[in-house]
Amino acid sequence: MKQNNLKAWLYLLPAILFLGVFMVYPLVDVCIYAVEENYASIARTYTGIGFGNFRDVLSDKLFIQAPKNTFILVVITVPLSTGLSLLIALGLSSIKTLKKAFQTIYFLPYVTNTLAVGLVFMILFDKTEYTKGLVNLLLHTDIDFIDGEYWMKMMVTCLYTVWIVMPFKILILTSALASVNQEYYKAAKVDGATNSRIFWKITLPMISPTMFYLVITGFIGAFKAYSDEVALFGTNLNAAGMNTIVGYVYDMLYSDTGGHYGNAAAAALILFAIVFTITYINLKFSRNKVQYM
Amino acid sequence: MKTRKTISLILMLALALAVLSGCHGTLVSKAVTGDGNTDVPEEFDESKKIELTFWAKNDTNVVQTAVYTQAIKDFEAIYPNVKISLRLYADYSRIYADVITNIPTNTPPNVCITYPDHIATYMTGSDVVLQLDDWMRDSRYGLGGSEVKFDAPREEEMVPEFLNECMLNGHYYAMPYMRSTEALYVNQDMVEKLGYELPDVLTWDFVWEVSEKAMEKNEDGSFKVNGQNVMIPFIYKSTDNMMITMLKQLGAPYSNENGEVLIFNDTTKSLLEEIYLHAKSRAFSTFAISSYPGNFLNAGQCIFAVDSTAGATWMGSEAPMQDIHEDQKVPFKIALRPVPQFDPEHPQMISQGPSICIFNKDDPQEVLASWLFVQYLVSNSVQLGYAETEGYLPVTLKAQQSAEYRDYLSRKGEDNTDHYFIKIEASELLMNNTANTFVTPVFNGSASLRSAAGEMVENVCKSARRKQEMNDAAIQKLYQDVRGLYRLNEIEVKQADPSGGTEAAEQTGGSSGELPGISKALLIGIPAIWVLIIAFELWEKKKAKRKN
Amino acid sequence: MNERIKKTGSKILIYLLLVIWAFIVLFPFYWMVLTSVKKTSAYNNETVPQVFTTDPTLENYISAFTKVDLGRYFVNTLIFTVATTALMMVVTIPASYAFARLEFRGKTLLFSLFLSLMMIPTELVIITNYVTVVNLELNRGIKTYLGLILPSVTSVFYIYLLKENFEAVPDELYKAAKVDGTGDLKFLLKVMVPICQPTIVTIVILKVIECWNSYVWPRLITREPEYFLVSNGIQTIRESGFGRQDIPAMMAAVVVVSVPLIVLFLVFRDKIMAGVSRGGTKG
Repeated sequence: MKQNNLKAWLYLLPAILFLGVFMVYPLVDVCIYAVEENYASIARTYTGIGFGNFRDVLSDKLFIQAPKNTFILVVITVPLSTGLSLLIALGLSSIKTLKKAFQTIYFLPYVTNTLAVGLVFMILFDKTEYTKGLVNLLLHTDIDFIDGEYWMKMMVTCLYTVWIVMPFKILILTSALASVNQEYYKAAKVDGATNSRIFWKITLPMISPTMFYLVITGFIGAFKAYSDEVALFGTNLNAAGMNTIVGYVYDMLYSDTGGHYGNAAAAALILFAIVFTITYINLKFSRNKVQYM
Repeated sequence: MKTRKTISLILMLALALAVLSGCHGTLVSKAVTGDGNTDVPEEFDESKKIELTFWAKNDTNVVQTAVYTQAIKDFEAIYPNVKISLRLYADYSRIYADVITNIPTNTPPNVCITYPDHIATYMTGSDVVLQLDDWMRDSRYGLGGSEVKFDAPREEEMVPEFLNECMLNGHYYAMPYMRSTEALYVNQDMVEKLGYELPDVLTWDFVWEVSEKAMEKNEDGSFKVNGQNVMIPFIYKSTDNMMITMLKQLGAPYSNENGEVLIFNDTTKSLLEEIYLHAKSRAFSTFAISSYPGNFLNAGQCIFAVDSTAGATWMGSEAPMQDIHEDQKVPFKIALRPVPQFDPEHPQMISQGPSICIFNKDDPQEVLASWLFVQYLVSNSVQLGYAETEGYLPVTLKAQQSAEYRDYLSRKGEDNTDHYFIKIEASELLMNNTANTFVTPVFNGSASLRSAAGEMVENVCKSARRKQEMNDAAIQKLYQDVRGLYRLNEIEVKQADPSGGTEAAEQTGGSSGELPGISKALLIGIPAIWVLIIAFELWEKKKAKRKN
Repeated sequence: MNERIKKTGSKILIYLLLVIWAFIVLFPFYWMVLTSVKKTSAYNNETVPQVFTTDPTLENYISAFTKVDLGRYFVNTLIFTVATTALMMVVTIPASYAFARLEFRGKTLLFSLFLSLMMIPTELVIITNYVTVVNLELNRGIKTYLGLILPSVTSVFYIYLLKENFEAVPDELYKAAKVDGTGDLKFLLKVMVPICQPTIVTIVILKVIECWNSYVWPRLITREPEYFLVSNGIQTIRESGFGRQDIPAMMAAVVVVSVPLIVLFLVFRDKIMAGVSRGGTKG
C-alpha cells in the first residue's frame, strides 16, 4: 500500500497533541515525582533522588491493606458478577416478550450518578439507634453492615460493586450470545444433545473470549475502585479498614501534614504496573484465543 | 535493528519530556525558608483595582452565608476598588484540601477561614502565610489604625486569650474570627426524677453515676426514667475534644509545642477503660455511633448531651432549630452547664472556632487589601451578625461590650428564636469562662493527633458494643493501631539546636527494613511475570521465524 | 407432554429470575425518587426508613433549582458535554482512520503506544494536569470551560473502538473509491462515517454519559461557582441544608440530572446496544 506518511501524521496530529500534553507529559512528570524522595508539595522540597518513596509506600501498613482489600473484592465480585450476568443474559436470550424492557431496566445504573446511588445503598444497610435498617429487617438479621466487622463491610462492598458492574456485563454477554452461529445449535439438536451439553460444549467455548475479557476488565476496574467505597463508608476509609490503592493515592495527596506527592506518585505507579501487567496478559490471551476461533 | 531504533527513540522522547517538566523543587538542604514576614506598604492605593478571593466555611447555614455576603458588600462600598469573590465550604477538611492543592501552584486564596492546626501545615511552605505582627501594629493600617476607613477594633480591644491562640512559633499568623466552647446540655427533669440535684458544675463521676442509674428498665423492657425503648443517657459529640479535655483537666500529657506525641500514657489508658465500661452498659455513646446528641436530648432519650456552644440553637424542646418531628419532641426543662470536670473548683474547657489567615502574595497592595478585609471581619457589625446566628461568641471585647450585644444578652429568653435562652446562655458561658479555656499545641501533624485521640474513644466504644475484651494487651494494640492509622510516628519533632536552628527527627524508628509479605509478593511477582511474558514473546517470534 | 411442562417450568423460572433482578436494580432508583418527594424535615425525622410517604411534596425539586443555580450548572454541563464530544469526534475520527486505512512509517509502534496509554489510570495524571491548567490560567473566568474541556477530550478507547470498526469495512469499497480518484478525506467523510454510524453514535452517547457524570476533574479545577457542573451542584445541594445535610433536595437534583441521560438512552437504545457489543472492549 502506498505510504501516506504526511497525511497519516496530519490525521493523527490532534490526537497526538492532546494525548501528549494530558497523558504522556503527566506520566513522565509522575515518574519524576516518584523518585524525588519525600517530596513535600507545600514546601516544594525533597530529600534526595532515589527509590525511597517506593520503599516507604511498600512498607506502609496502610498501603498493604489496599491490595488486600482489592484482592478479596476481585476474587468475590468478578466470578459472582460474571456468572450472574451470564445467567441473566441466558435468560434474556431465551425470551421474546418484555426483553427490551428488561434490557433497558438493567442498563439504568450505568447512566446514573454513582455518588447518589452509593448513598442510597448506605442508607439501606445502615444500622442506627432506632432501626436495624431495611436490609436487616427484610432478612430478619441484626448485622452491623456499615460499621461492623470487616467481613460484613466487605460483603456490602462486594454486593454494591456487583450491582454497579452488572449492566455492562449483561449487555456484552447478551450480544455475545446472540452472535453465536445458530448453525452450531441446529446441528447439535439434530445430534440429540441435551441443553446442558449444548451449553458446556458449544455456548461456553464460543463466548469464552468475551467471558475472559469481562473477567480481566473486572480485575482492572476493581483495582481502580475508590468512589464506591467512599459512598458507603465515608472519606475515612483507613479507619473503616476498607481503603483501596486509589484511596491511598488520594490520602497521600491530601494528608494532614501536607501533600506527599512522591509517595502518591510511587503508589500510583505501582497501581499502573499491576494494571498494565494484567492488561497485557489479557491482550495476549485474547489474541491467541481469537486465532483459534 | 528496528527494535533498537524504536527503543532509543522512545528513550529520547522520554528524556526530552523529563527535561521539559524538570525537577519539582529543591533539595531540603538547599531550601530557602521564609516566615512570611512582609513589609506593610506605606499607603493603600485606592485607585488600583484589586480582586480578592475569600474561602469561608459555613455550618450549612444560609443565614451565615448572608452575613458573609453582606460583609463583602459593605466592605466593597467602603473600598470600591476591591472586589471580593466568596467561595463557601461545608467543612474545614475541604478547605484544607483545596488550599494545599493550590499552594504549590501559587494560587491559594487571599483570605481563608481555617484552623490553626491547618495553618501549621500551610506554614511548611516558605512565606506562604502572612505573618501578622507588624501588620497588627502598624500605626496607619494596623488594628484600628489611623487610615482604616471603618471602625476596627484595636489590639487591646481583642480578647487576649483568643488572639494568643493564633500564635505559632512566637508570631501571629491568624486572627480569631468566632469562638465557641463545649457545653453540657442537661435534661434537668430526668436528673431530678432519678433522685439527684443538678449542681452548678458537674463532675465526670456524677455524670457516669447518673447515666448508669438511668439504664434501669421496667419489666416490659422500656426505660424507667422515660418510659421509652430508647435511652442513651450520655452522648458526647466530639470524641476528639472529649479525650483532649479529660487529659487537660487531669494535667496529663497530650502533646507539646515541639510536636512530641505524648498521648499514649497510663492516664489515657485508665480514661479509656472507664469509657469502655459505660459504653458497654450503653450508658454512653458518641455522635459517630448514634447520631446528633441534640436529637436524642429533644426526644427525651438522652440526659447529658455534650456539644459545641455554637450548636445551642438545636438543643432543647423549645429550640429554634429542630431536627426531629413535633411528635417526637418531649418537653423538658433544659439546663446549660460547663462540660464535666474532674476538679469543679477549677473548671477547664476547650476553646474552638474558626480563625482567619492571609496568604502572602507578590503584590503588597493585594495583601494590604486582604488585611483590611480581615479587619472588617472582626469589626462589630460582622462579629455581632455572625455570632447571633448561633451560640458563638464574638472575639473582640469591643463587640462583647458593645451596647448592642449587651442588649442582645439582656433579652435572654424573650423569645424562642433570636433570643432563645439556651443560645444566649451558651455564649455567656464562654464569655464568663474565657480565662478557663485552653487550646492544644499546634504543629504540622497536630490535626492527625487530634483525630487519633478521638479515634481511640470511638474504638473503645465499638469494642464494648461488640462485647470484645478490654485489657492491657488490647489497649497496647489500640495504641499501636492508632499510631499507624494517623501516621503519628512520622510527625517531625523539633529539637532545639544550641546553635539556634532546629532539627527534625522522627518520633520512633520510621519504616523498618523488613517489607511486609504482600509487598514482597508484588516486588517479586510482577517482574517474574514479565520475565515469563518476554520469554513467551521470544518463543513465539522464534516459532514464527521457523515457519517462514 | 413432559417436554412442554419442563419448558413452561423453565420459562417461569427464567422470568422469575429476571423479575427479581429487575427489582433489585430498580429498588435503589425507587428509593431515590421516593426520597426526593419527602419533605426534608420529615426525612430527617425518620428514625425508621419509610418505604413510602403519605405526604409527598415537590418542594425539593423547586429548592434544587433555587438553593443553587442548578439551571446554570445544567447550561455549563451542556456546553462542556457538547464541546468535548464535538472535539472528540474531530480528534478521533481522523486518528482511527489513519490507523485503519493508511500505511505509514511507525504505524505499529505508534498504535502500541496509544494502547498502552489506555491503561493509565486518571489518578496518575490528575495533579500534573491541574498544574498545567493553573499555569495556563485555564481555571479563571470564561477560560474555565477550556480547562474543563481540553483534558477531557481524548480517550484512546474510542480511537481503538472506531479503528476496529473502520477495519471491518470491506477493502473493496476503498479500492473502488481509489479507482474513482476519491481522496482519503472525502472517502472518510462520505463513505466510512455513514457506514460506521452505529459505532459513532455509541461513542458519542458514551462520551456524553461520561461528561455528564464527570465529577473529580470539574470539582478540582472550578473555582468560581458560576462555572460549576451539575455533579458539583449535587454535592453543594447536599450540604445546603439548615445545619444538616439536605438529602431529599440532593436526590431531587440527582433525579433531575439523570433524566436527560435516561431519555437519551431510551431514544438511542438500539444503536447503543449494537455498537457497544460489537466493540466489546472497555478499559
